Amino acid sequence: MVTIDLAEIPIRDANELIRESGARGEDVQVLNPDARHHIGVGLTNEITVRVRGSAGYFCAGLTDGARFEIDANVGWGLADNMYRGSVVVGGNASAIAAVAIRGAEVVIRGNMGSRAGQVMKAGTLCCAGNANFMAGYMMYGGRIIILGDSGERVGEDMAGGEIYVGGEIKSLGSDAKLVDVQTEDRDSLAAFLDKYELKTARDFKKIVNAGTKLRYATEEQQMRSIPFFTFSGASDYWNGKVQEDIYVKSQIGRYRIRGYGGARSLPHLADLAFKKDVPHIGSVPNVVSKVRMRTAIGGLNGAKPLDLTMPVMIAPMSYGALSRSTKQAIGMASTLAGIAENTGEGGMSDAQRDAAKQLIFQCLGGRLGWNIHDMKRADGLEIYISQGAKPGFGGQLMAKKVTKELAEIRGIPPGIDLRSPSRHPDILGADDLVIKVEEFREATGYQLPVSVKLGAGRVRDDIKIAAKDGFDFVELDGMQGSTGAASAEVLEYVGIPTLAAIMEALDALEEINYRDKIQIVLMGGIRDGVDATKALCLGADAIALGSSTIIAGGCIACMQCHVGQCVTGIATQDPEHEKRYEPSMEAQNIHRYLEGVRWQIAAITYALGYDNVHDLRRDDLVAVTPEAAAITGLPYEPSYRQSGHELEK
Amino acid sequence: MVYDINRIKVPEAPPDYEDHTSDAHFVPAPCQAACPVGTDAASYIAYIWEGQFKEAFQAITATNPFSSICGRVCDAPCEPACRRADSDGPIMIRNLKRFVMDTVGHQYDPPPIEPSKKETVGIVGAGPAGLTAAHDLCVAGYEVHVYEMSDRLGGTMVWGIPAFRLPPGIIQEDLDRLMKRCPGLKVHLNAALGRDVSLDELKKRHDAVLLTIGAWWGKAMEIPGEDDPRVVDGVGFLRRINGGEKPELPETVTVVGGGDVAMDACRVAKRLPGCRHVKVIYRRGPDEIPARRIELEGAIKEGIEFIYNTLQTAIVPSGDSIALRCVKTTAGDQGSDGRRQPVIVPDTEHDIECGMVIAAVGQKAGNSELDKLGLMAKDRVRANFDGMSTSDPKVFAAGDGAFGGSTIVIAMHHGQKAAYYVKAFLQGRKNPLPYRTPYRTQRVPVAQDMMWERLPPQEPEFFGLGKKPVEFPEIEATYDWETAKNEAARCYRCDAETGSADYSVQHREDIFSMARTEPEDHLKHQAMLEKRMALRENPFPENRPGNLDDLVFLPANLSRLVIDPYREACRTSTELAGKMKLEWPFLVTGFDEAPEEVREGLALGLIQSECGYLGTQRIAANVPWLQLILGHPSNEASKDAAALIYAMGDGAPPAGKRLNDAQLLGLAVSSPTALETAIPQALDNGYDLLLLDATGKLGSPWPELAGALDLSVLREAIRVLRQLGREEEIDLVYFGGLRSGTDAAKVIALGCTAVVYGVPIGLAVGGTIAGAKEFAFSSDYSDEDRASAVVNFLKSAAGEASMMARCTGKTAVHNLEPEDLRAITLATAKASGIPLAGVR
Repeated sequence: MVTIDLAEIPIRDANELIRESGARGEDVQVLNPDARHHIGVGLTNEITVRVRGSAGYFCAGLTDGARFEIDANVGWGLADNMYRGSVVVGGNASAIAAVAIRGAEVVIRGNMGSRAGQVMKAGTLCCAGNANFMAGYMMYGGRIIILGDSGERVGEDMAGGEIYVGGEIKSLGSDAKLVDVQTEDRDSLAAFLDKYELKTARDFKKIVNAGTKLRYATEEQQMRSIPFFTFSGASDYWNGKVQEDIYVKSQIGRYRIRGYGGARSLPHLADLAFKKDVPHIGSVPNVVSKVRMRTAIGGLNGAKPLDLTMPVMIAPMSYGALSRSTKQAIGMASTLAGIAENTGEGGMSDAQRDAAKQLIFQCLGGRLGWNIHDMKRADGLEIYISQGAKPGFGGQLMAKKVTKELAEIRGIPPGIDLRSPSRHPDILGADDLVIKVEEFREATGYQLPVSVKLGAGRVRDDIKIAAKDGFDFVELDGMQGSTGAASAEVLEYVGIPTLAAIMEALDALEEINYRDKIQIVLMGGIRDGVDATKALCLGADAIALGSSTIIAGGCIACMQCHVGQCVTGIATQDPEHEKRYEPSMEAQNIHRYLEGVRWQIAAITYALGYDNVHDLRRDDLVAVTPEAAAITGLPYEPSYRQSGHELEK
Repeated sequence: MVYDINRIKVPEAPPDYEDHTSDAHFVPAPCQAACPVGTDAASYIAYIWEGQFKEAFQAITATNPFSSICGRVCDAPCEPACRRADSDGPIMIRNLKRFVMDTVGHQYDPPPIEPSKKETVGIVGAGPAGLTAAHDLCVAGYEVHVYEMSDRLGGTMVWGIPAFRLPPGIIQEDLDRLMKRCPGLKVHLNAALGRDVSLDELKKRHDAVLLTIGAWWGKAMEIPGEDDPRVVDGVGFLRRINGGEKPELPETVTVVGGGDVAMDACRVAKRLPGCRHVKVIYRRGPDEIPARRIELEGAIKEGIEFIYNTLQTAIVPSGDSIALRCVKTTAGDQGSDGRRQPVIVPDTEHDIECGMVIAAVGQKAGNSELDKLGLMAKDRVRANFDGMSTSDPKVFAAGDGAFGGSTIVIAMHHGQKAAYYVKAFLQGRKNPLPYRTPYRTQRVPVAQDMMWERLPPQEPEFFGLGKKPVEFPEIEATYDWETAKNEAARCYRCDAETGSADYSVQHREDIFSMARTEPEDHLKHQAMLEKRMALRENPFPENRPGNLDDLVFLPANLSRLVIDPYREACRTSTELAGKMKLEWPFLVTGFDEAPEEVREGLALGLIQSECGYLGTQRIAANVPWLQLILGHPSNEASKDAAALIYAMGDGAPPAGKRLNDAQLLGLAVSSPTALETAIPQALDNGYDLLLLDATGKLGSPWPELAGALDLSVLREAIRVLRQLGREEEIDLVYFGGLRSGTDAAKVIALGCTAVVYGVPIGLAVGGTIAGAKEFAFSSDYSDEDRASAVVNFLKSAAGEASMMARCTGKTAVHNLEPEDLRAITLATAKASGIPLAGVR
């Protein structure tokens, strides 16, 4: 037994010691915990940790296998995302106890706060006292046992699992219903209570999902896309697209859903031109070797940065939206090109991990596929706040794509229209976010860069929070970003263009003198090395490519990703369709595309007179539309459009 | 061809050719680029799905005078190029062409083109190259004389292809169409060059001569013993059969070679009397055999045996019959043609017994007159491919006779190219722009087939040898309409513009090209960069008015908490002036003059959705009526209207009066300039609401259809109210151009309490826009259909509006505020008073 006195050493060192003891198989007791946050996070050994007092936020969070005993009370986020193992709390627990657990047994001898068991997938949360409101909020599976009263809206929007209440049910949540308790339920409850020496004389009431909101009631008629130029820009007001939308909505009674990004033209990097005449552009055959492009992302706060051979990364896209083979191909291509890949929502598969040399692991509010083991084998951790295509929304995966295998990796019931939560259970404001970032860093020994994915809205305000909360970099996603499925209205009309996003971000960081404290990876509608170079000139540290890599790998841009029957085998989980995709061949295609991007960045940088991409400056650009000029503050030089300045060879 | 480096930058189209590659929303599909004559397959496939067969026929025949023949026997390079080939199998383009030609080919003839020019052209040889050149030259107005040594037109198409693949009637169909199209085409049969007419004579008779003499003769295997009479050459054998002979063959026949002639020869032999076994020997492996896959598979299905990696070395007698002496081979190093060369495996000599050997190892051209004139180079006409020219400036050459054995469609391409250079010569144009295949499109909408992603390749019925093989019945069926439609539905439509501005067809194709360019291919990268550097047109030209489309919502992220749009509540309930309660902030207008049954269905829908109606006429007793009163006759105001909305004329606001206390009093204003005086007066007169009309023509039929809306009426109303500090005293209701719940949310964010839908409801109940002021209502909707469409549309609009509100972090639609919006164009920023995104 190792004794750690938190009055003597900081929590960061204490967690190191706990993990070292774990590796040796030695139990730990923690003295003077004094409600410190993050006690024991990241522990993956089957030892017992006794906390002699009260613990703060995320006690036993991001762990697998250990037994925790806390003598007194705990703060919020107890046993966050815990896999196997157990936690017994002698006193009370604050909000979101057992959030996102995936198999652990969590016992609270006192009362528990609100939203207990939010987005839990498996395991048991048992509260001997009363629960506050919305216990089992959006839970996907597992069991909650409340010996006392339930609080209001118990089981709110639960998609799976079961809740047993011994006392009074204040009120049932949306889409929750009462069902009869079966004998085997009673036996199983009794066994659990025995195990933890809990007693109750009460008979339980059982709450499960009512199934009214898991699937869209009516199926939307699928339509192949109308060409964008017939409705974008100065087209007639009641065009075919408008009429089709109205017709479909008059049949289904709700918003339309589709894949890909916004359909219409927006102010774009394409509305900028390089200011300098760049004669002989691309005439130097080995131009790539003449320009320094190596870029480190994520090392500002001491973590091991991503080492990119050019300021380019793969944008986060999930296994789920995309087929396993597609993620594999993209991973392979990222390795060949020496850049970083990103899991997106929905977990990390071995195939993905093996394919991509540098892989960022993304964490969303539903905590689908999120776990300590994959965190530890990631090269970066990312908190998703929102995305450019559908800011305000969690991931959306239509039932056709939620296969058994996919549901398993995400820990959710198969066959539901998956609409991930919009918010994180434990990030309700900037202050929570700091503690969350800290939890990730504690759990992984401060080795990994932690980034934030931010869809572009009030970028000026949001990025200040991101910078002050200590993120290593932000993946800033303009509204031209794409997605596998979203409300068509949100795709078109929520968020600001990528061009506006980067300008707001840079302005805001300069305002608070934080430009050198956080890096910006810009994405959303960047299609080639030309767009990329313009973004770098404006001030992005790197850019990320999503849709264009998919297209390089065979996507035909039919925008039917949401249907789940992707004709090319990319945006599908149907094995018959996935067979159509040849990962090794497409990996080569994607790789060649990425090399093309590299060549273009190098050729333009060289033609502008630099030998390092990081020397590119805003002054190298002019704007060729009034909107682009207003947004960027660059001089409006429409003559660059006609003069063909850049086209001379 | 466009694909390759040229695909990045398409060369300029030659003059006189219709070509659409300069259209920013069109890129030739891979199938079209792979077609030597640039057939617009994507368009005709789309027409087939639509059932527009005449249009499909026109798209097919636009660049191909032998469309019926090609529907049966084209080598179809389009199919391996098809993008769907990498997925679940290419579109069966040839079968689709066959379907069109069989269905309507005999019905339509392109209009005849009479000769209009004084020059004439002589063409030697009436095969696909010669006749295609003749066609193009006739269409250009020249008189063309074709000299053919045999007794019929068609060359290889009639002499080289057996009837079970290409029935004679099909050939005749194309020839008939050609002759009708080209009255200036004069045919001279049984007129061989050298025997019946000399080149000198032709040069005297005509202003230019084109030699398309074909590769008529089979090459020898050049092995000992091949002069045995039981050894014949493939093309000669096919020629005999096509001439009408059906000879008795020995029991076993061996065919040497792996090309199309070998395939036809082996399948002919299999059908002839006496023959039971046919073997094909080929010196490379099954992956290298040049025969088209479908012919190869057909031959295998018909029971023909393929022996690979086997090379003939001699013909030796073997009892009463002969044997083909062979050795085994293996794949060696790459040869100059890029293919791995067969290498003999030692000690593998063996004999293949047979009664007959058909050698199909290549073809050659031959003509003693040309030989004498020094125009021949070994076994072909000496010609320059760039200009299809010979050493004699007046004499051109094309087709297999000049450039070696190929396919019908390549020969046709040669004919087109030769015709182009002959024309340039006749017109005296020096150094004409290099010829390239034109790429056209009919811009047909994409087929809306819901099964397009799932439908597997549609195989036509395969008959094989048939009941009486010797009669050469056709080997496979033509699609029926349903099958053809299913196959057509599978087309990706690589030519068509996408639904995405950022990933338009041009961008997508450039990304595809980048993905297929090797990193070291510097020239291709340079060409691509040059193309990518070109700037796009300004999508927001100066004349684009301020527009609701160009407002966007700012989502909540870190600085505000988002309200989960999938599951959390957001209120939409609305109160107008504290008197009229609505579930949603919506009203409906526009049906005063609509047919009675439409009004009835609408009324039902409005009752179900508890929505009010704005109009001069009441829609139904139990639908809250906001009576619109045009002009001044106050006596027409109805006592039981829920609201009286007086339209403002040119002068001061009418002094509207409530007829009972519960009634709302509203003033409709259409002109932004009137607001400055109208608003204070309206407030003093006790009006409850201002109806802001952005169409300027409220009260006329369907004013929203006229187009441009003036958002500034809303901006001005808010400005004036703010100036007066009396925003809370009157509710704003907006009308004009709302298409969705998102539009409604924007207007509410700008400061309105409710909005009025017109046109969308007209569309929802089955109306079609029939002009600038008119709707045509379909009668195939029932009252219930119309009612449910109204309810559904309004429900979706409410859902969308509350979705926008939740995205911005609001739990009620009415909490939306101007600060939640940004403009993306300067014109919209100005018209709405909302700042441009990204601007400080």
